[in-house]
Order: sequence, then C-alpha cells, then structure tokens
Amino acid sequence: MMITITTAAICLLAGADTENAAPAGQNLAIFADVVYTSTGEVIEGGMVRVRDGKIRVVSKGAPAEDDVHVAAVTAGMIDLSGRILSSRAVEQSNEITPHVRATDAIDLFSVSWDRQLRSGVTCVMISPPDDNVIGGLSAVVKTGGPRSLSARTVKADAALRGAFGSQPSRRNHPAFGRPTDFFSRRPTTRMGVEWEWRKAMYDAIAAASDETRAFAGHERLMQAMRGELPVVAQAWATQDIRTAVFLVEEMAGHVEGGIRLVIDAGAEAWKEPELLVRSGSAVILPPFDHDGRTSDGAFMAWNVAALLAEKGVPIALSSHDARGADDRLAVQGAWARRGGLSFADTLAAVTLTPARMIGVDDRLGSIEVGKDGDLALWNATPFEAGSRVIGVVLDGELVLDPRGGK
Amino acid sequence: MKTVVSGLIAGAVALGAGPAAGADPSQEAAASPGEAEVAFDDATVLAIRAGRVLVRPGVSVEGAVVLVRDGVIEAVGSELEVPEGARVIEGAVCCAGFIDPWSALGLDASVLGDQSTDAATRTADGLDPYGVDHLLAEALAAGVTSVRLQGGQAAAVGGLGAVVRLDPQLSATEALVNDEADIAMAVGLSVDGGMQLVQLPDGSYSMISGARAVDPFDRLSQVERVVSKIEEGRSYLEAQVEYRHELEAWELGIAEKLKESEKDFKKAKKARDKKVAEAEEEGEEYKEKKYKEDKKPKKPKFDAEKEALSLIADGVVPLVVEVHRTAEIRNLLAMTARFNRLRLVIAGGSEALHAAEQLAERKVPVIVWPSLRGTERFDEFDGAGLELAGELAGRGGSVLLGSGGRDGSVTRDLPLLAALTVSHGFGREAAFEALTLGAATTFDLAHRLGSVEAGKDADLLVLDGDPLDTTARVRHVICGGREVVHQED
Amino acid sequence: MLETLTVIATLAAGGDRVDLDAPLVGERTTVFRADEVHLGDGRVLDGGVVFVQDGVIREVGVGLEPPTGAHVVEHDGALTPGLVALHGFEGGGEELLDSTRPFLPGADAATAFNPDHPDFTRSLDCGITAVVLSPPASILCPGTTAVVKTAGAVVVSRRAQLVLGLSTSALKADEFPTSYAGALAALDERFSEPKGAFRSALDGELPLLVKISTRSQIQRALGFLTRHRLRGALYGSYWAEEVVDEIKASAFSVICTPSDPGDDGRWARSIAALSAAGVRLGFGLDAPGRHPHCLRFGAAVAVREGMDPGAALTALTGDAAAIAGVGGRLGRVERGLDADLVLWSGEPMDLASEISAVYVDGKRVRGGER
Repeated sequence: MMITITTAAICLLAGADTENAAPAGQNLAIFADVVYTSTGEVIEGGMVRVRDGKIRVVSKGAPAEDDVHVAAVTAGMIDLSGRILSSRAVEQSNEITPHVRATDAIDLFSVSWDRQLRSGVTCVMISPPDDNVIGGLSAVVKTGGPRSLSARTVKADAALRGAFGSQPSRRNHPAFGRPTDFFSRRPTTRMGVEWEWRKAMYDAIAAASDETRAFAGHERLMQAMRGELPVVAQAWATQDIRTAVFLVEEMAGHVEGGIRLVIDAGAEAWKEPELLVRSGSAVILPPFDHDGRTSDGAFMAWNVAALLAEKGVPIALSSHDARGADDRLAVQGAWARRGGLSFADTLAAVTLTPARMIGVDDRLGSIEVGKDGDLALWNATPFEAGSRVIGVVLDGELVLDPRGGK
Repeated sequence: MKTVVSGLIAGAVALGAGPAAGADPSQEAAASPGEAEVAFDDATVLAIRAGRVLVRPGVSVEGAVVLVRDGVIEAVGSELEVPEGARVIEGAVCCAGFIDPWSALGLDASVLGDQSTDAATRTADGLDPYGVDHLLAEALAAGVTSVRLQGGQAAAVGGLGAVVRLDPQLSATEALVNDEADIAMAVGLSVDGGMQLVQLPDGSYSMISGARAVDPFDRLSQVERVVSKIEEGRSYLEAQVEYRHELEAWELGIAEKLKESEKDFKKAKKARDKKVAEAEEEGEEYKEKKYKEDKKPKKPKFDAEKEALSLIADGVVPLVVEVHRTAEIRNLLAMTARFNRLRLVIAGGSEALHAAEQLAERKVPVIVWPSLRGTERFDEFDGAGLELAGELAGRGGSVLLGSGGRDGSVTRDLPLLAALTVSHGFGREAAFEALTLGAATTFDLAHRLGSVEAGKDADLLVLDGDPLDTTARVRHVICGGREVVHQED
Repeated sequence: MLETLTVIATLAAGGDRVDLDAPLVGERTTVFRADEVHLGDGRVLDGGVVFVQDGVIREVGVGLEPPTGAHVVEHDGALTPGLVALHGFEGGGEELLDSTRPFLPGADAATAFNPDHPDFTRSLDCGITAVVLSPPASILCPGTTAVVKTAGAVVVSRRAQLVLGLSTSALKADEFPTSYAGALAALDERFSEPKGAFRSALDGELPLLVKISTRSQIQRALGFLTRHRLRGALYGSYWAEEVVDEIKASAFSVICTPSDPGDDGRWARSIAALSAAGVRLGFGLDAPGRHPHCLRFGAAVAVREGMDPGAALTALTGDAAAIAGVGGRLGRVERGLDADLVLWSGEPMDLASEISAVYVDGKRVRGGER
C-alpha cells in the first residue's frame, strides 16, 4: 500500500507517467496543443493521462506518432437540461409528484445518448418533462458506458424538478368542460401553478408534524425547503422567474435553511438579474434562438449569458436534446461567445458551473487529478465557428477516436 | 453461430461477377481475425466436393465434384480430378441456388407501387439493391440466389420484369441476368382504402378497413382489358409482318416493271421519237407520258407499348397475370385461347383449383405464394391455404413458388414456406423443382440457371442436408461463381 | 427449477387421477412405437415405445413388450409431445380485454374459453395440443392466464400465471398511470402489502407473465421483478439479445413473440442468443390475428439462425409446459403425464415434415387410422 502511494507520488512530482508504474486497467494518454482544465489553469502542449476511469496526470507532454493528439481538450461537457425523456416519465394523474423518479422512465437504448456522447456531452441530468407542476426527482447520468442504470448513474435524486409558467397548466381545463378524465382540474393558469407550488409546500410542512397529512413525496419537499435538495424549476419569462424567487423568499421564513433555486430555461433572466443575485439563484439557459423568441412569450437576448455573468449569477448552458448538429451544447457555447461571454466563462458554463449547481463537482466538471476521466477532444479552440468535438473519453475509455477508429 | 457474408465487410475481395459482367481485378484480401477467408482470384478454380450433388430435379450423383471457373460451372462428375491450386469446399449436399420468381427484393418502394406503368416500362430501370444490403445477405444465407422482380405490382399492366442475381457486391447492371423476363398484368386485385363488410368464420359480421375488393363486373372488364392488350400486341405484330410482305411485294413489282421497261426500251424510244417528230411537225409541244408509280407501303408507326405487347403475343416472353378468383381465371383462359403463341403464367391463383384441369391442359404454370395468414385477411388471398400448391400439382398443374412480389423481406423465408407446402401435400421433388429448374425454365433461363450442369452459371448451395429440410443448415452459397456466404457454427 | 418442482408437487402428476402402478388393461391400452420418441426435455429414444391408457402415459422406454390386446400404432417417423403455445387469444377475442381499471388481478382468462371456436381447429392442425389463454397487456394487471387443451374442452389449469403489463400499452394518456414511475409505484404498493394473487406470486405459487416489448422495458421490468424476488416469464423477445446477461441473471424465462415470414432478422438473432445463453424459452402466439403455423415457423427461423433443433422442440413442449406451470401434466412424454402426442413424418422441427396424427388425452383427433 505504502509503495503504491509513493510510486504514484513520484509520478505526479515528475509530471510524466512512467510506463512500468501502471497496474491492470485501461491506460490512456491524450495530448493537446492546449489543455483547458476549467480550474483557470491552461496548459500549452499538454497531456492528460487517465487510468482505471480516473484522471491520474495533468501536465505538459509531447506526443509520439501513434498517440491521440488534438488541438484542444476540455472536461467532458455537462448538460443539466438534457430533456431526453419522453412523456412516459411524468405521472400526470397528479400535478404534485415529488416522489416520482425520472430514472424509472429511462431508455438506455435511445439514440439520444449516443448523440449527446459523440458531441462531447459526457453527463446529462434527466428530469421528468414539465407537464406537472412538481414532476419529481432528476438524476445525473453519464451518456455512455455499460447499458445499466447502476453503472451510469452519477447521482440519483440529484434535484427536485418543477415548473412555473404555463406549461404545467396547458392540458388542464375547467371542470365544467369534460369531467371524464383527470385533466378537469386546477391549475389552468400560471397563477394556479404558483398556487399548487405553495400549497404543496405548506402541505409538506403540515405533514412534517402531522402523520395523518402525509402524502407521497412530502419528505422531498421538506428536503428542498431545508436546502438539502436543490430545486430546478423551469421559468422562461420574467414574471415566472419573479414568482419563483418570491416563493423561495416566502418559504425561507417558514423553514430553516432555504430553497437552493436553479432556474431552468431562464431565457428572460436578463431583464431582472437583481432577483437572481439577491436570491442566490443559478440559471440554466435554454438553447439560443435565432430570433430570440422562446416559450411562454419569453424573449432571449443575444447577450443574456454575458450579462448574467457580469452580475455574478452562476450560469450553465443547455441544448434540450437538440437533434441538429448546429444546436448541440458545443455550439451553444459558440452562440454564448458571440453574445459576449468570455471564453473562460463559456467553458465554465458547460463544465464546472453545472457540476457545482447540482453537487457533482467532486467527480466532474474539470480536468483535475482524481476526477472522472471524462474529456472532450476538439479540432480547434472550443466554441468557435469552425470548432467541433472530434473525440470523447468517458470513464477513461476512448469512446470516440479522433484518429478515425471507432 | 458466425456468418460471413463477404462484400459487406471491408476488406473482402471483389471477383468477376459472372459472364454478364467484366471481371474485377483481384485484390489482396484483408481478412479480419476470426473471419473465414473467402479470397481467391479468378484464375483459381473452385471445387465443391459433396457427398451428394442434386444435379437437377430427379437426378443426383453421390460423391461428386463440381468445378467452377470464371463464374461458370465447368464440369460435374464423380470421377473428376480437382486441379492444382483449386479452392476446395466440402459439404454434404450441393444443389442449384433457389430462384424466387415472384419477388420484390431490390425494388424501390415507389417502383413497386407505381400504378402508371405500361407494357414498355422496364423494371430493370427501377432496380435499387443498394439500400437493402442486409436483406440481400439474409436471402443469400437462406439459399435464394436470384429473383424475378416486377415493378407496378398492383398496376393493370406492370411492364417488363427483370431477373436479378442477389450478390450485394454487384451494381444494379451487373446483377441483371435478364432485363426482359416477362410482362406482367393484374386482374381483380383489391384497392387500398375504404371499408368492406365481411363474414367471419364464426358467422358474425365485421367491417374491415384497408382493402376494398373490386366488384365482379369491374373484375370481368379487367380480364377483357388483358385480352385487348394482347390483341393490341398481336395486331401490331401482324401489321409489322404485313408491312414487310407488302414492302417486299412492292419492291418486287418495281423491279419487274423496270425489267420490263428495259426490254421494251428500244421500241419505246422509237415510238417516242416518232411522236416527238410528229408534234414538232404540227408545231405542238410534246407532252410526256406520265407513269404513276405504285405508292410505297407505309411503315406502321413505332409504338413502344405495342412493341412490348407484341412480345407476349408472339410468345417471345411469358405473360404473368396475377389473378385469384375462379371466374376471372376461367374467363382469362377462355378468352386467351385464340392466341396460340401466348405463354401464359398465373400468379397468385387463390382459387385456381376450380380451374385446375384447364390450367393443366393449357400448360399454364401457377406461381403460388404459400402464406401464413390469420383470420383477419379478407382480400384476394382469402381461401389460399398451404395446401394450394399440393392440390394444384395433384390435378396435373405446373406449380412454382414465390414470395408474393409485395415485400422484399419475405424472399429470405421462401425456402421455409416451400417446406411448409411439402408438409401440406406438395411433393418434395416438385417443390425443389419449383425453386430451381422450374422457375428458370418458365422465364427462359434454363440455359443459365436452375441446375448443376456444365455451362450454366455457378449459382450453388452447399448444405448439411436436403435443401428443403429446414433443420439442414446452408454452409456455403456461391453466386455467379463468387462465394458470398460461409456459415460455421 | 424450484418453481417447476413446486408445481409438480401440487398437481401430483397423473397419480391424482390414475393409479400408475395398477396393471395395464390391454383393451384400454394404446401402444405407440416410433423410430424416434422425443421426450420433450431434449432426450430422444431411438425405437422408443410409449404405453397409453385412459388418456395417461403409463410407460415409456425401449424394447418394451406391449400388453396383450393392446392396440399398437407403428409409426415410421417421430413422436413428440403435443406442442404448447404460450400466450394466445384463441376463441377469446374481445372477451379477454378489460381495460377499465389498472388492476384486475381477479380476471380469469378461463371464463373466456370457448372450446368450439374454429381457432382451436386450426391450432390442432398445426400439432398444438395446449394453449395458454392470456388477457392482453392493455393494463398493469389484466388478470391471470389459463392453460386449455385444443380438443376436448379441457381446462388444464386456471389462474396459471399472473399477467403484468409493463409496456407502453399499459400506460394511458388521460388515466392513471401515465408514466412508468406511476406504474411501478402502484405495483410496488401491491407487492409490499400483498394480498390474493400478489401474495401467491410472492410466495412462488403463481408465476408471473410479464409483457414487454422494448429493450429498456425489459431492463425496467427485470429491475422491478428482481427487487421483489419474483419468478416467471417475460413475453416479448425482440432485441432481447442486447440484454441477455440481465435476463439470464434474473432466472426469468422468455416467451418469444410470434414470427411471420419477412419479419426483421433481429427477432431470430435474439432467440438464438437467448438459447445459446441458456435462458429457458417458449414460443407464443397471438392468434386469431396470426395463423398457428407461425409457432413452428418461428422455431424454424430460430433454427436457421443457429438454435439447436432439439432445443427448439424443447421450447415448444417441455419447457413451455414448465413456464406455464403445468409441467406435471403436459409437455413431455413421461410416465404419468397426459397423453397429448403428435406423430410426424420426419424430423419435427423440419417444416417439411407432415403431421401424421395428433392425440389429445389419448384420443386421436387428427390423422388417419394406422
């Protein structure tokens, strides 16, 4: 045991890996003209060595002829709003289902996983679609590896998912319409949606002290209010962001701790950034739209990312399981750059910041020794017009070979 | 079980496809590890040593060798010597590759569904084998080496069908064995859309959607249309022949007249000079005698469709009519009896049993699609069970087996369907003949396909047992002289 | 095979109905002698002999002397147990379908059994002597299956398996459940405080029949089933080859969906892979939509893809009966089991082999006098 540690320590100090130090396990070295670690450190003529699924060495290095050598390497990208799941993931018989797990509806054979993986996204957070006010529990899942949920799950029950605005109320209609199915119910407006949120929270508080008022998932709501479980809520328009923030502030007065809010698809977050600053909320931005028109009447300015970054609001980019190569996460970075976001902030927005938002930054989000061997290999400086992800390493395995193998 | 279908895996060698195509240059084969090596250049001879060679239906040779060179069967015999350097394949049984005479494998969906075809439409122009590599591979692995394809499956006149070899390495042109195999027509096929009321076996009624049956009067007029098309072809042919005769006669007449005029030239000249002199004396102009030449016979206008129809009228290619109901079959036979050169083939024939004697008498083969249908199918195939092939054969009819010409993926299962007809009364030998020499003969390819005989194309199967035994595995398939399938356990 | 042994114990194979040790009465005995007697468990007796009396198989062996006065059937070919089609709707039609509530564990397919229905005639023509009637999986728990014979109006076993629907057809758009999570939560509830059929399933008395159609549904179902330590069979084999290891580890059997000519080659590759991995297989139908010929046709396609013909026959006979929980009465040529037999002109898995005769409960129902 001691000997192993010493050997590893020597390797680290020397900055170069020695061939004979490796025990059994996949041993892979990636060479790049520039290594962007996401920690602030940028290594020119760098090398990242992974073994047994983890990053072991990050240093300078010169490639040999057969080595994998690309223009740039970053940590594998993380998309917190992957939206890979189908409508089978949301239990619509009740608008409040905090206990429902998105992973119960996962289809590991869906082509979306491979599509994400091959575009450089090594980790996705899957959530129930926002047809419910509170849809359930999101999970953080790798986009590749053995086809089993246990092998791919990075963090189960990572966040509580819900939505503000009009989407959760869309299918409902007033009771005097057609009372034959359960869609004859509240909420039918965004006011109703907010009412459902608040009712659920107060009901959970009541259930915490009175067993007879327990309902499925009430403990999850308490965890959310205590800040133990982040709440990721969709809110496209300013009015919905405002609603969310006010609700958070209201509940902070009733439960010790306070909701840790992440606004998903905050397209109009640029209008009143002070709301986000004062509530300490983070924002996941939706895919950029060419004319700025997004859902719920929200208008997404080109420079929303840059503006929020300037105000110190933590931001992450997302792609909503884009089919077209033009809309994937790597290209969302390019749009953000075009809108004025700095390179460092763009890189953070697809790597370390989303990892921190949901608490998986101990394993993911940057190129640091000890973290998971998830890397995106680029053909040029990332997030520029001509740059593409041409190789991917996942859990230390080269799943997409830039030399044209796989 | 590992199957290697060469041509689909990078690195396999391309060989001369057969007599119809130019030979490809041989290349170094980069066989990947674990793959059976199938590479050999066309200078090498392929020798198949089989425990039993089914030379043709009814004739087999024990312990024989089949020699193949340049895509052609060079020799078959038990005393043959295997030449030096020959690639040897060993197997229990060797026979000719199966032919599916009613297939859709390799036809674009739009070509298959085209309703605006006419007799001159060439299926060979609509081949698209490129998107169905996996289906070709599966069909080959099941033993089917060539197919007859027909565009415009449901059209009144489908046009000229094509016979194609299933090797996925061949281009559409190289794979063509015969681009004018037949002309096809259809009578009484149900039309898509609409609802129909049907009586279920238990006596209750049900509305079925999807296929609308054509009413009996329309079906009869469709038969009349078939006959009028044949008549069109026949009269076009007749006009051509007449024209040739008339032209000949006219030319002969001209020649004779010329000869005559040559003979009387001097006399005529003298007479003319005399007349000219007389006219001059009287101060008048001499009017030349005018002679009228017989009008040259006019060549009949070229008509592509009629040109094609004349092929069936003249018996150059067979006419395949898809028809199912007794009344239409009987009418068709009766109304085409006067075309004594017509070679008629029936496809489908769900109720052909009721006209079995007439079909046998007129020597009209019936291509049967032995299909496994449940109770929810109420269209022209209603009533056609697995016994149809056996029953028709039992009444003296000539029966072929095909996969229905509607769905290319069924071709792969034709040998299994053939086995099912054997278990329902069709003779084993008759089924084997239907799949090989019978199909080849009907479509004028018996000189190239359908049996293991010297001079024919090398489309061969090497199996573990009888070709119609569904538990006997196909080990090797040779298509156009090239080994395309090699299956080991 | 714990489940099979349990079943045999409770049904007390044949011994319940007939005293197997009593001497044979020649006049009531039929003796079958065939070139090959396939026992239904993979073994074949060359020149085997089978004694049948009063509809029950009394002796099986080689070189046995027939009792005096017995009627002897000499068969030039193979003798196999009657084929068992797992999953079918014969004669049931719409009567089997009730989708008013997500849970109807009490619905019994046997009540929809209509023995005079022409569907059974066609099944007999194909050598199928027993069919498992099953409600369609249009709800989470549509009821229980029943094993019936295709001749003689016999119900071999009511409430043979508890059916669970875990494909999208059990999920609704405007009723509970709309999601897999909701479905699994409801099922969890039923199995956590089990009563009735769910209790029996957990106790191992009632095997499950779980209907799925995609690979991810198989994964999801197996996760749920192994969590509750349930046993039974999956119905739905398409693309199952990609999850073979998980199926094998769960000890669940697989009932292969029926195959038509022209079906995607993946179907056959799946079955061959499952067979090679040692997963217990059976074949199902969904007649009347499909012709019963598809049962043996599917087996032949699997054989073409590499499945061993002996294993294919076992899947159609002995293993099928075991999956349906009636291994003590059907599916094998063995002392004490029902005399449901088929005589074939050749190798049974060869589609070119004709059915010479079919016997159900010892009575000849198909085929000429021999």
